[in-house]
Amino acid sequence: MDGHDRDHGLLAAFLAGELDAAGARRWDEHLLACEQCWRAVREDRAGRQAAQLLRQPAPPGLADRVTFAVELAAAGMAGQGWPRHRVRPQRSRRWVRLRWRWLAAAGALAAAVAALAAVLLPGGRESASMPAAVAAVAHYAQTVPSARPPGPAPGGSSAPVEVGKPVTVSAGGQRMVLRVWRLGRVEAVVAVSTRPFPMPARAQGVTGPGMAWTARLGTIGLYCRNGSTSELVAAPVPQSQLAALAARLPAA
Amino acid sequence: MGADHRTFLEATLPHLDVVYQVARHAAGDGQDPEDLVQETYLRAYAAFGSWRGESTRAWLAAICLNAARSAARRRRRRPWEVAAMALEALPVARADGGEAARDVADVVIAGLDAQAVSRCLAVLPEPQRVCIVLMDMAGYTAAETAAVLGCPRGTVLARVHRGRLKLARLLVEAGVSDGRP
Repeated sequence: MDGHDRDHGLLAAFLAGELDAAGARRWDEHLLACEQCWRAVREDRAGRQAAQLLRQPAPPGLADRVTFAVELAAAGMAGQGWPRHRVRPQRSRRWVRLRWRWLAAAGALAAAVAALAAVLLPGGRESASMPAAVAAVAHYAQTVPSARPPGPAPGGSSAPVEVGKPVTVSAGGQRMVLRVWRLGRVEAVVAVSTRPFPMPARAQGVTGPGMAWTARLGTIGLYCRNGSTSELVAAPVPQSQLAALAARLPAA
Repeated sequence: MGADHRTFLEATLPHLDVVYQVARHAAGDGQDPEDLVQETYLRAYAAFGSWRGESTRAWLAAICLNAARSAARRRRRRPWEVAAMALEALPVARADGGEAARDVADVVIAGLDAQAVSRCLAVLPEPQRVCIVLMDMAGYTAAETAAVLGCPRGTVLARVHRGRLKLARLLVEAGVSDGRP
């Protein structure tokens, strides 16, 4: 070691334990005599300790969120419907129900949506008529698995039952929390966001308290109401039943 | 696309913590780290079919950094570019008297404060900051960091060393200039 060899690469390699035995021994000897290099070693250690202070575990729920997004994307890639339409005849209704419960408990509310990955990504594909965030909610509602238990029609009196657990997701750069509610034979997806859901081009304004609009994407009716948060209800019901359905769901 | 998502999740979810560390420091202003993690996993899933499986967490970190850069481009801003900030306000504990004569390492270790460290880290040059985030915070090895950044391992070691020295000295300067007892 020649005097004050401050070569950062060599010293860093020594500190990382990547020098061979002879090289490491030379540095050991050098550090005994060189105050400048010894100080650099101590500062390196202090800097590392300081940086390590910033470590934080991933927040609870992030794994569920990632799993949910990937499963949605996976279903979208397959371009197929959820087994709701493909359940093998020999499978019993109970099997379907058990399977659904397991998936719900796992936070795996996967759905089949062509090109859903594109709308989930910020800046992803977004048609002029249907904003990405709204499309993602509609697609999700289209493919929410359902055990379809017997029960009254949407206009019935059964209380809403939450299915699975809430999942946070971003679509088109908009963050939202998705919940699924079962009302009789209908399952409705409710997305809540702190930002108003963009109004699709062909949406219709709804008179009543606050700003609200309705729209339709395929078989899914959409009903958005804006208050302190924006709430988008998506369900496979006729447009005329949307407001009544939304009114029966718990407030966000 | 179209790879088995269960295989993908089994291979990648164990690295969620380290991806989150990278995302926290790669996310630009206005970008939520959790959104960046979600985007990272969606991009990784899309590319999973062509992934050769060398180092999963290095692969994920590279995707995360690229996703952060893409997001920054979308916002017409560069990632990792943090405006120089006044260090006077940093809440680093100031050692009593004779500060100048004290060893930098002693002062830093005595006055560690996460918020101050975060602010000082933000003013480091990007290459040094990225190496520190990957190695010291996310726990990547020098070889993995080199693979993520596409540069020689020696370069990574030199950058992380320079970055640590600078970080330690910035923390001391912040404490000294704070003017508090």
